[in-house]
Amino acid sequence: MELHQVRYFLALANTLNFTRAAEMCNVTQPALTKGVQKLEQELGGQLIYRERQLTHLTDLGKEVLPMLKRALASTEAVRRRAREFQQKEVAPLAIGLAPSISASLVLETIAEIRKFVPGLHVELREEPPSRLVELLLEGDINVALAGDLDDKPERIDDWALFEERYVAVLAPSHELADLPAIGMEALREATILDLINCDVAPKFQHLLFPDAPPHHNHRSSQDLHLQHLAAAGFGIILAPEHMPRLPTLKALPIEGDPVRREVRLLAVQGRRYSPALDAFVKVARLRDWSLYTRSPLQTERHSHLEATGMSA
Amino acid sequence: MNVMSDHLTKTLNQVRNELLAGLSDADREAYLHLVDWLRKTDVASHALQVGDTAPDFLLPDAHGRLHSSEHLRGEGPLVVSFYRGGWCPFCNAELRALQAVKAELDSLKANLVVLSPETRDLPRQLKRQLNLDLTMLADVDHGVAISYGVLFRVPEETKAHYAGQGYDFGQRHGSTEWMLPIPATFVIDQAGIVRGAFVEPDFTIRQEPSDILNNVRRLAGSQAEDVSASDE
Repeated sequence: MELHQVRYFLALANTLNFTRAAEMCNVTQPALTKGVQKLEQELGGQLIYRERQLTHLTDLGKEVLPMLKRALASTEAVRRRAREFQQKEVAPLAIGLAPSISASLVLETIAEIRKFVPGLHVELREEPPSRLVELLLEGDINVALAGDLDDKPERIDDWALFEERYVAVLAPSHELADLPAIGMEALREATILDLINCDVAPKFQHLLFPDAPPHHNHRSSQDLHLQHLAAAGFGIILAPEHMPRLPTLKALPIEGDPVRREVRLLAVQGRRYSPALDAFVKVARLRDWSLYTRSPLQTERHSHLEATGMSA
Repeated sequence: MNVMSDHLTKTLNQVRNELLAGLSDADREAYLHLVDWLRKTDVASHALQVGDTAPDFLLPDAHGRLHSSEHLRGEGPLVVSFYRGGWCPFCNAELRALQAVKAELDSLKANLVVLSPETRDLPRQLKRQLNLDLTMLADVDHGVAISYGVLFRVPEETKAHYAGQGYDFGQRHGSTEWMLPIPATFVIDQAGIVRGAFVEPDFTIRQEPSDILNNVRRLAGSQAEDVSASDE
């Protein structure tokens, strides 16, 4: 298929009006019609129903539209990057993170795109997954990382980045700390530190504590506060494996790894991608995320993050 | 050098013939059907031609590092080769053949990039599996294939054939649609102009690495002359 044919079709899908679409593309209406017809021949069916008052997309048109929008947005992002580069424009990128997602996950991706988008201004926002979806649709954030989503509107594109397990984080002096893994029974007897508004809490309840809620004696809305409580021996945190930890804590697997989840990348379908967003989405969909889920659990990466001032 | 090139040419042809001979009846039928469809729809006619300006791109490699085409053609010619994916034996044969001429391309200050629409760990796996030291770029969401005019939507019969073999291109590409590039090789000069274009709807036929090298040598020679002329 040819790029200009795709442009004509997208303009037509946008306006549902041949005259206006031709004006948008700066071509004559017959030229636009011919281009769309050629695309239809190649795609093997009509994309648009041509009716005087009721021009609308066919099922095939609706099916291919999101993908063609993405392909075109991708080519345009490259052109805009060249212009931004020359004019030293600011390139904002607002990234939403669910509470169970650490900023440490996006650092290398941001560092990579900064090499090519020098005006990059990053904003990180932490919100529950449902709020992240709203913010995406409202245009307040450009992209988000979240775990499981209960309800995802069709307009949101999402890509699974990696799967990870939940582990038990505790002080080395904790009575369970010398076990190779923590059993479910022991976990049900232990004190679990409660993260307020934790987006994974319902999943814990369902998989780990189906009969009775865990012993939640202590709680906080901040993961770092809970880590300090755990380090002081107040209990166990259930945390995703990628989450950076204080160097004074250790992490143990839960027997059988009963709680697992996919970390997903979310963006709004069909929206124009800025060069920074385009690069972010592309790098995120290629990079090796297994670094964050490999054993041993206590890795040097976490102390490195502490040293550079990063926290959960 | 010529002996080496002949050897490589022969090997790539040989591998193609062996692969064709080994196709099952169902595979052969699907292959002929797709090639026939590609010729009838004249998909290859949209591809960039010699003299066209090659659109620039910025894509991640198998390790998530970004590469820009401006940078890649900064010091010499750039060879851009589209392959279909790690599931395609003809592509794997081509990648091996390209690997074999990489050192010579390096010595000509030419960069080679190979592009496919595959995402996630698929390019990494393929690189490891074939022991390749090539810059394998992921044409995420097909932006480059579409701007080079080599993208097509997989027709329903072909889709059913591959799906029956357990391949899910939607999942491999991170997309709801099944799109593929026609395997094609472009040689681009330092100004971003296409100086060599090999686009063949029969996806089992790839440009011989010796021909790519000849293109690059010619281009490297003429660019060296341009530089010395401008120095005078």
